[in-house]
Amino acid sequence: MKLYRLETVSWSDSQLLYHALPRIGREGLNLLSPASPYVCIGYFQDVEQEVDLDYCRAHNIPVFRREVGGGAVYLDGEQLFYQLVIRKNHPLVPKEKGEFYWKFLQAPIAAYRALGIPAEYKPVNDIIASGRKISGNGVAEIGDYIVFVGNLIVDFDYETMVRVLRVPDEKFRDKVYKTLQDNLSTIRRELGSAPPRAQLWDLLAEKFMEILGPLEVETTVDAEWRAEADRLAARMMSDEWLFRRGRSQIGREVTIRAGVQVWQKAYKAPGGLIRAILEVREGVIADISLSGDFFFYPAERLVDLERALVGVRVEDVEQVIARFYADYGVESPGVTAADFARTIQVA
Amino acid sequence: MQISGFEFPDDLYYDRQHNWACVEGNTVVQGMTEFGQKLAREIVYVEIPPVGKAVTQGQTFMSMESGKWVGRIPALVSGKIVAVNEELEFEPTLVNQSPYDQGWLVKIEMSNPAELNNLLRADSPEFKAFVEEEAAKYKDVL
Repeated sequence: MKLYRLETVSWSDSQLLYHALPRIGREGLNLLSPASPYVCIGYFQDVEQEVDLDYCRAHNIPVFRREVGGGAVYLDGEQLFYQLVIRKNHPLVPKEKGEFYWKFLQAPIAAYRALGIPAEYKPVNDIIASGRKISGNGVAEIGDYIVFVGNLIVDFDYETMVRVLRVPDEKFRDKVYKTLQDNLSTIRRELGSAPPRAQLWDLLAEKFMEILGPLEVETTVDAEWRAEADRLAARMMSDEWLFRRGRSQIGREVTIRAGVQVWQKAYKAPGGLIRAILEVREGVIADISLSGDFFFYPAERLVDLERALVGVRVEDVEQVIARFYADYGVESPGVTAADFARTIQVA
Repeated sequence: MQISGFEFPDDLYYDRQHNWACVEGNTVVQGMTEFGQKLAREIVYVEIPPVGKAVTQGQTFMSMESGKWVGRIPALVSGKIVAVNEELEFEPTLVNQSPYDQGWLVKIEMSNPAELNNLLRADSPEFKAFVEEEAAKYKDVL
């Protein structure tokens, strides 16, 4: 295995290179940082639900879907990425994911500690310092390889992070911003200043080598690797890949008889997942049950909302729900009348 | 039967990746064992493969996410997917809650039933030894 100390690369290479490495049958540890900011969504996410694409387009912020799990993140040059590509049957690889994370997160934890930041492992895949998250990590299995990616966070642009997310309103955005501020820390926040970048790369290299053993260092991308990354770019930077159907808008319709259907719908609103099971007769709701993991105050009004929707044409649900909200003073942070309507109406 | 405190129904076939296969005529229903789902932790997403997709024994064909880890699931037999558990799109935790029943993953029409001989049975000493070894290895997690 080699250590690829590439330091600053293009934003797209900061993703494509680690996706390409296992595909050319090669292990490696990449240390790199993107030259410009971008948004990166998790493998299973629905980009239109997670990201404010209009804002990103207007501000030239590209959006990328990775094969690694987790959520939408704003990434930029103030984050130092480590990307370990290692064979599943490598003797150092524990088979259980908690053990895997614990083992390889020791490298960034040790790097943080060497800087004087009291970092510690928090199961299953987090690093915290003084109770705040200070590193994001995830894994993808690609072929016979495990791809483990994460970052040291020198500084974090909280404002842009909350701006690139798709949120229902500014109140919700403000809530996300405050929660992020309270729960995510950085090297600069912990130390009051940022150490020289070279020191951070050295520390990461040293601490990973304490786990992996000595590694030969390369500082460039060879032709074979470059060609595979370019080949992957054609697929992973296409709209087809980015807009791949997310799971959260998928619904099912079962026709009981002509004109009578039972629908099962799910929609992930910013405030939580909404589920609806409804019977529809000739386009009119005959019965409906709403559930999910969103907050709805007062909770007992949800049953009243279900009753209010019986007899309503599917295309009219948004107005009815909006009126219901106004009449009863219902509050559901991050879930709007339009979200309920979308749950019901989405194909 | 119970091995190391986990249920392994006698009538199923098993691989060493904690998956099970239930033979129904020329079709196999595939899922994850109770042990496997415990090891995987809470499943948050399941990627449902398309019906009609060809699969090969031992080759991965679908993905699941838990703990920000996108893992791949190997097919227990070769053949063609003839049904998928669409409920998992809405309730991926069915894999955790009901691994042998509502949490099934796919149905595969076998192209070579002789491949079942490559799988293990719950009552075989080899399988029992495998599970006991795994249970001992992961006792802190399980």
